[in-house]
Amino acid sequence: MLTLEAVSYRYAGATRLSLREVSLTLGEGEVVGVVGRSEAGKSTLCLVASGLAPRTLGGTLRGRVLLDGADSSGRAMHEMARDVAIGFQNPGTQLSGVATTVYEEVAFGPMNLGIARDEVLRRTESSIDALAIGALRDRDPDLLSGGQQQLVAIAGLLALSPRHLILDEPTAQLDPAGTRLVSDAIKGLAGGGVSILIVEQKVDLLAGVCDRVIALDEGRVALDGAADQVLRDPALHAMGVAEPSGVRLRRLASEAGLAPEVIAGALRAEAWSSADG
Amino acid sequence: MAELAVEGLVHVYREGGIRAVDGVDLRIGSGERVAIIGQNGSGKTTLVRHLNGLLRPSEGRVLVDGVDAAGLTVAQLARSVGLVFQDPDRQIFAGSVRAEVEYGPRNLGMRGEALGSAVESALAAVGLEPEARTNPYDLGASRRKLLALASVLAMRTKVLVLDEPTTGQDERGVEQVRAVIAGAHGEGRTVIAISHDMRFVAEAFERVVVMRAGRIVLDGSPERVFRGDAWGALASTFLEPPLAAVIGERLGLGSTPTDASLIHALSGRNAGAPPSAG
Amino acid sequence: MLGGIIGPLILVLLAVIVPALLARVVRDLVRTSLLLTLPIALSALLVNVLFFPAEQQVLLRPGPITVTAEGLVFALEILVRIMAISGAITLFYLTTRPQDLVVDLERRGVSARVAFVANASVQTVPAMVERAQQIAAAQRARGLDTEGSFMRRARGILPIVGPVILGSIAEVEERTLALEARGFTRPGRRTMLWWPTDSGAQRAARWSLIAALIAVAGARIAGRLG
Repeated sequence: MLTLEAVSYRYAGATRLSLREVSLTLGEGEVVGVVGRSEAGKSTLCLVASGLAPRTLGGTLRGRVLLDGADSSGRAMHEMARDVAIGFQNPGTQLSGVATTVYEEVAFGPMNLGIARDEVLRRTESSIDALAIGALRDRDPDLLSGGQQQLVAIAGLLALSPRHLILDEPTAQLDPAGTRLVSDAIKGLAGGGVSILIVEQKVDLLAGVCDRVIALDEGRVALDGAADQVLRDPALHAMGVAEPSGVRLRRLASEAGLAPEVIAGALRAEAWSSADG
Repeated sequence: MAELAVEGLVHVYREGGIRAVDGVDLRIGSGERVAIIGQNGSGKTTLVRHLNGLLRPSEGRVLVDGVDAAGLTVAQLARSVGLVFQDPDRQIFAGSVRAEVEYGPRNLGMRGEALGSAVESALAAVGLEPEARTNPYDLGASRRKLLALASVLAMRTKVLVLDEPTTGQDERGVEQVRAVIAGAHGEGRTVIAISHDMRFVAEAFERVVVMRAGRIVLDGSPERVFRGDAWGALASTFLEPPLAAVIGERLGLGSTPTDASLIHALSGRNAGAPPSAG
Repeated sequence: MLGGIIGPLILVLLAVIVPALLARVVRDLVRTSLLLTLPIALSALLVNVLFFPAEQQVLLRPGPITVTAEGLVFALEILVRIMAISGAITLFYLTTRPQDLVVDLERRGVSARVAFVANASVQTVPAMVERAQQIAAAQRARGLDTEGSFMRRARGILPIVGPVILGSIAEVEERTLALEARGFTRPGRRTMLWWPTDSGAQRAARWSLIAALIAVAGARIAGRLG
């Protein structure tokens, strides 16, 4: 379990706080989405939860970050990496740059941690399977598409065997094909034991995969609850966060004096027929 | 006379002989708003880079306002065609927002009053006037993207080409981009955009060009391009129509690519029936 | 008199050309080492052929310049030595994959971080070049004139170099975060998945080369003394 207790954070050299008194819990196996307008503190939240802030980034942190109830502030970054893994939006810069094959790239993390060779091989294989990228194992990571590189990056994070996976806008720089690849992969990982904290602007993506959703506004937690509750909350719109398309259309229908059930019905029909393939 | 004309364009990248653009004919009239969509690798970026001369045709030609672009340098074409790149960090170099926006118009020879007013109106269009003296890297990533947009707006070109203007933007940023497009259109400028956001495309453009494997597979209004019978072509280039279009099809309302058209069609269907309570 | 030339020439043949033939890199080898050494070799040749101080066996005397046999021989000696050095270096460069070298160094105890930097630096160059090209394209789209007069083009340096540097720095921060998130800063050795295999033959070759070096050096010194 990963807990933030009244965490406030200010970047080195900044005048204002990026996070204000944020408290949240990421329980075992949960998939939690984070939404908010630009600069609301979503990326900062990810950096703090992973330990990179303040360890690598500097800055001042108040409050506590707990792993399974224990204060994590004494742990070094490489120790945090065993429990909390974090992925970013740029697929290219996450690659180590020294691996000539996808296999080596995925193995990079566990190799760094000095884990026994057999265990490294086992974890690499299982991560490659989990992300279904077996067909890419001998390819040069630099030559893959953005979506494929993101899958490789996520596999590399899973190979650390973390209990918590944090993804900061994994599809932001991807085309629709890449977005589909990554969101399907995330759906596949959900419920697999690793808890996932995922920040996304593409709210539709979150609607399909999250148990809970947290909305940040100016560094504070404004909403925190079940995914379909939060994503339907009218306060979201006021905060500058896009609603899922289905929610938006239902709202527009109501505003036009029409029965939103018509939209809901059509949505269900659409989901039904796409499930039939 | 078409503002822009592309005739029989083929572009082959030397390394590997890939035909990134494989025979494209396209005419865009003055004042049109055109969106170009298609998966990565379909040739969209290669195509638009011919419009300002950054790339030159392997075969075929490009005409800007009736003149063959082959005889003009990129710097000359930049007077007519302003291209905004996708990554603002591969462009921004000035120490202040204002200086960054001044760069383009200065290169075109604008000075004094003309320069000042071009910069002011560009900053206003993207909502960055209060930040005129801020260092661009003190702005967040989405506002830097708006800055890149402003820096090309200020050049006052007749044609504006936007490469993925809404990628990475939050809701507010997307609205800002829409406002910029509407404003440019209002001034009579031609706007061309590459985008992955189908809803943005359906709502802000009157013409959609769909590309796959270097060719145009569909070219028409959003109603035409997002109609049910076109979904197969869209899927072949890994695209999906906006949700409004899907729902409209399901409910048998015809082609409703935008929220507004869907609501309108629904209201039309219910005309005569009393509005539901609550 | 030609003893000083024949010896090194045989060495070059045995130690450089024969292995190059075996590794099938002779053409690249000749081309690259010629490129490297031609200017130096030519100037050494000229200087020594024309201006060597001993005047025992004069060959030609065109005007104020004296061409001597000694000078010619000395020049050839230098040439052969340069060929030996550049040939050996080029052979090494042509037959070694940087990755293999770095991995082997790390296995022998070089710090993982040094090995990483060595490996990653090579890979950064093409990425930086590509970035510079994209930046140049964006600035040209804003009217930067890269086809005009020299002065105009010189003014274009900052708008290209600026973002290349700034962007690279920003990218360094992103890369650092990603690396640290994958345990890169853990002190001590890391697990190695593979390394280039050493064989008895290679080890024998290495030791016999070292032995040969000592023998030749010894003989040289002995020759001098006796």
